[in-house]
Amino acid sequence: MAKSVLLISRQAPWAGIGAAEALDIALAAGAFDLPLSILFMDDGVLQLLDQQQPQALEQKDLSANLQALPMFGIEQLYVAQHCLTVRGLADNPLALTAERVDDQRIQQLIRQHDYVMTL
Amino acid sequence: MTTLHILNAAPTQTSQLSSCLRVLSAGDGIVFCGEAVQALRAGSLAAQQLQGIDPSCKLYALEEDVLARAIDAEALPVTLLDYPAFVALCVAYSRVNSWT
Repeated sequence: MAKSVLLISRQAPWAGIGAAEALDIALAAGAFDLPLSILFMDDGVLQLLDQQQPQALEQKDLSANLQALPMFGIEQLYVAQHCLTVRGLADNPLALTAERVDDQRIQQLIRQHDYVMTL
Repeated sequence: MTTLHILNAAPTQTSQLSSCLRVLSAGDGIVFCGEAVQALRAGSLAAQQLQGIDPSCKLYALEEDVLARAIDAEALPVTLLDYPAFVALCVAYSRVNSWT
């Protein structure tokens, strides 16, 4: 059985290449049927905000890649509720269906996976 | 099923340490390397936070990074490592979470 990976994505969408690279890793893992879960944490939760307009910065839109995750078999998606709350986004709708998790659940997630990758 | 967390950025610069402490499980370890060793500076806010962590969690730091920055790591129960010891530690834990 393939080893499971928890990918923790902590970077804002336009703050560097971290967010895009994390998504690339996830899609590649999905294409090879590797069991991978994603946790959006810290500024990474900003990737899930609806109605961002990256064209204004002449940047590529990440939301299309995000929407592709379930099609690539990446369905275990989590977002840190605390990180949404401190950014004033506690009740905001998200662009992607992700389970909102507290710190204790995050501790469990880390322990449940064979590998953890943080970007 | 414990995790070794590796931190490399100063606690005053990024949220690495504060986020790591939120998701730390009993029995986990933290390795401080590079600027992250600033967290071990006695009297700092980060050092105070570290004093409050679960006693089952172990703290480690790369000795050369501690020495280079004139940090007195005696205030906390920190084990100083050289690179071979660092590698051995990575293998000893179930998984490694390298924070970036």
